[in-house]
Amino acid sequence: MAGIDVGGGGGKGKRSLDSEINMIPMIDLLMVTIAFLLINAVWTHMSRINADAQVPGPPRPDEEVIKQEPEKVLNIEMRSQDKFVLIWKQAGTVISTIDVPRKDDIQMDGQLKSIRYPDLAAKISSEWQTVGTHRDPTDRKFDQAILHTDNETPYVFIIGVIDAIYQAHRPFNMGGKTDQVPAFNVTFAVN
Amino acid sequence: MPVHEPGKRLMHHVPLEFVRKKVSGHGARNVNAGLSLTSFIDFLIVTVVFLIMTFTTSSEAPLAKGITLPKAENTIDMIDAPMVAINGSEVLVDGSAAGNTRAIEDSKRMQRIDELFNILKSKREIWKQLHPGKDFPGVVILQVDQDVQAVVVKSVFQTAAFAGFPNVSFMVGMIPKTQH
Repeated sequence: MAGIDVGGGGGKGKRSLDSEINMIPMIDLLMVTIAFLLINAVWTHMSRINADAQVPGPPRPDEEVIKQEPEKVLNIEMRSQDKFVLIWKQAGTVISTIDVPRKDDIQMDGQLKSIRYPDLAAKISSEWQTVGTHRDPTDRKFDQAILHTDNETPYVFIIGVIDAIYQAHRPFNMGGKTDQVPAFNVTFAVN
Repeated sequence: MPVHEPGKRLMHHVPLEFVRKKVSGHGARNVNAGLSLTSFIDFLIVTVVFLIMTFTTSSEAPLAKGITLPKAENTIDMIDAPMVAINGSEVLVDGSAAGNTRAIEDSKRMQRIDELFNILKSKREIWKQLHPGKDFPGVVILQVDQDVQAVVVKSVFQTAAFAGFPNVSFMVGMIPKTQH
């Protein structure tokens, strides 16, 4: 039997401040807690990576259509084995074109594969710093990036490029607090 | 008093076999081992604290069998949304069969998957009936094997978008974030 000494006490007629904890129920409780937590433990953490589809929605007669100035959009072409092409377009007009050498940094973790494109991520970040429109933390809108791939590219490479696009971060004011959030909204082009 | 040969005397008078074996040094090792209670409780408490720290109340999204997801760094938390899995050439929506992609793989051309389209469309209708007056979020989560070709992903993506789910998320494994 073990005890806990909380000090003091010991006066005449007073109840002792030392109390004892029965070790057997305590160890039982700890064991049951461990068993419960182990059964409910989640060892693999899954998350998601966002991509929109640019599909025209049904007409909304109740909403007034506000004519907006077309914005600059970053198009990322992933059709070649040796380079990416970054194209800034505004209303279909090409503003600038940049070639980025393609270096597939393949990392294997057993069967799991992950592809990283640090050069592409760095180039997209620097492009956004110079050409990006929505850079103010109070700006609620985000710059748009569209990813174009060929039909044969394996899915893991697409995820690698989307991940590289999301690497560019911007400050975003949310409820009086400024957080770093991805600078681009990514659209996956299906054409 | 008789003179005895020198040697071990302790416990030799006990008329029990196992005692004789023990004292003569020929017995087996004791099966009872001492355990320090303080260290044991410390270990249990550390284990409990670790498990509580890693405990999450949200249930993990079920991963379809046979799918190996790629990993990504810049991810966001999972949400509750219809789950479309592409397992080999089979398409599943929340675990139920919803067509297959064999025709797309063979022709290498983008096609709408009618069964998937109908299931997603009906899911959208049900949501709208259950939440009248609310804007439909249109989110669908894709579980795609890492080696699936882009044409299959595009076909599923487009089918989901035309069925009223334009906000498509890709389910991935999480890589710890590096400092930017």
